[in-house]
Amino acid sequence: MTIFITKILILLLSFRGGGSSLPGKVALKLNKNILTKLARGYQVVLVTGTNGKTTTADMIVKTLQANGLTVVNNAAGANMTPGIVTAFIKYHPFFDKRSNRFAVIEVDEAYMRQITGMLTPEMIVVTNIFRDQLDRYGETTTTYQFILEAIKNAPSAKLILNGDESMLGNMPIPNACLYYGFEHHGKPEIAANTESIFCRDCKTKYDYESIVFNHLGNYHCASCGHARPKLDYAVTQVELSPSDSQALINETEVTVGVPGLYNIYNAACAYAVADQLGIKTSIIKTSLAAQKSKFGRFESIRIEDRTMKLLLIKNPAGCNQCIDTVVLDEDEVTLLFLLNDNYADGRDVSWIYDAHFEALAGMKVSKVIVGGERAYDMAIRLKVAGLDRVNFTICKDYHEVIEAVKRQEKDVYAFTTYTAMTSFRAYLVEKGYAKKI
Amino acid sequence: MKLEICILYPDLLNSYGDTGNASILAHRAKERGIEAEVHHVSVSDTFDPEIYDIVLMGGGQFHEQSVVAADLRASKGVLLKAYVDAGKVALLICGAYQLAGEYYVDDHGEREDGLGILPVYSVPGEKRMIVDIVVKDKEGHIYTGFENHLGKTYIGDLEPLGQVISGFGNNGEDGYEGCWFKNTIGTYLHGPILAKNPELADWMIKTALELKGFDMTLAPLDDSWEKAAREDVMRKVGVAG
Repeated sequence: MTIFITKILILLLSFRGGGSSLPGKVALKLNKNILTKLARGYQVVLVTGTNGKTTTADMIVKTLQANGLTVVNNAAGANMTPGIVTAFIKYHPFFDKRSNRFAVIEVDEAYMRQITGMLTPEMIVVTNIFRDQLDRYGETTTTYQFILEAIKNAPSAKLILNGDESMLGNMPIPNACLYYGFEHHGKPEIAANTESIFCRDCKTKYDYESIVFNHLGNYHCASCGHARPKLDYAVTQVELSPSDSQALINETEVTVGVPGLYNIYNAACAYAVADQLGIKTSIIKTSLAAQKSKFGRFESIRIEDRTMKLLLIKNPAGCNQCIDTVVLDEDEVTLLFLLNDNYADGRDVSWIYDAHFEALAGMKVSKVIVGGERAYDMAIRLKVAGLDRVNFTICKDYHEVIEAVKRQEKDVYAFTTYTAMTSFRAYLVEKGYAKKI
Repeated sequence: MKLEICILYPDLLNSYGDTGNASILAHRAKERGIEAEVHHVSVSDTFDPEIYDIVLMGGGQFHEQSVVAADLRASKGVLLKAYVDAGKVALLICGAYQLAGEYYVDDHGEREDGLGILPVYSVPGEKRMIVDIVVKDKEGHIYTGFENHLGKTYIGDLEPLGQVISGFGNNGEDGYEGCWFKNTIGTYLHGPILAKNPELADWMIKTALELKGFDMTLAPLDDSWEKAAREDVMRKVGVAG
């Protein structure tokens, strides 16, 4: 009955637009065990970790769909319990009792324990643990504990883990573990300003054979022996461009349709999951090549004669990956930054000093446009990073931002924090430049 | 004439952007044609206080802070105390501010001896103080930043950095934020602190140069963005400029 009522609620809300967690909230009020009931009969894959959840889950979903399977999945961002309940109810088949149904669910790290207490996942995927907004989530060791507890609720789940993430290797758990990562990539050069480079178990500084980015790489602790496990899915070659990448995953040539080194991690992860679920390699390859940019992940928006690429920046590691992908562009560009400090952005803007904006100073930058509620904080950061202040335009609202973009003769990369992205995108929809998602 | 800036434990105390203070100091020095070099000193390095003109130490996560505490106790703590006692310029923020005191409380609730560099002490608070902060010093000068700490710090007879206008400050009780001890500043302000408070950055540069024997007036820089950023914070928390 709860499911029926909630389904009607979802239908009603869909006329109004939005509202992906409200129906789930109502359903949980009516029946707190609703998720256990809803997930019955599904093979559930849970995807968690600081960065890459949305893209990785999407890659897995697309691959399963390409194989002709029906897949339940939750909308980007609706990754706490109510949003997950909504997703299951939305797709709930009252009459169709076929087996072989799949659910690929992105889960907020802090909600993992609750979710694994409510349903029995077939697989748990953990992408990485970076420091996120510390005013919200607390410390990386706390996130590690959340994930560990969640796994302890699910001893039969197969784990697909980022092998290059030192927080995730050799965890004290009985589950079957498969690791993906990079073999022989990058010199072991590490920026001082990187988290998790001291041993999780004994606090000694790790030795690195190689670093892919941030603290991800082939690590080894000389003191207690904690070291990267053997990789089951190894990336051995990569070629990057501003629009996509080529990678060799377990000797298979794969095109990844979205740019950036971090998306090769996401692709290797999706490859591992799909392979473990018995999907043919040819289908995985086709699906990864067709992968399109999602909301704010290098999404292209046309503003009159200009192409603007929207990039979501949430934390230093993710931001650095956006920066490193943008600097692949050798043409002259315009850079746009929108910095907000609402709860979802992180209320402390000081994290922008933990990202290496200095790398942008080496690009051919024709103009720097800055906006958002903390535009001046951003402008100071970029000035200190070495961008020439004579090129700056500081805007007080989105109207000024768009007018400034229209005046550009170069394409625009737009770095935006979460609430800046959602409000800016809504503004672009209102003005007819972007389609509503 | 060259400024030698030292960041202590940049690979461990790096969660709140505090290492950005070094970049800001170097940037402001270079804008005046003063050479500046930033040095990183961590667990495996030696710390020679003679070399440095400015020492910076920030806040980090508990896991990393415990590594720092052990290393300071083993060797560098005594050297840092000598550096501060000699009246050289230092900026100790958040975790470093607590650690430099007489005692503090670790993440397990255990009382730990501090380094005894600053005559202050810290006890655990009831809940984390996470908020934008505005402080006014005795000359009426405003500082803004962001605080994020559980510990409550008491500074005894030391002069505070300023009075809290909005936020918690040292302990949320006595209305003080930070402290001055010789030429060392202890504070909870992240932001990083020097990003929106260029006067403080310039005081550090000028004092450090004076101690090296270069008595000079720093050429003014265009700090209009810094002032605007400070006003954004003040407007946000609802205090008048």
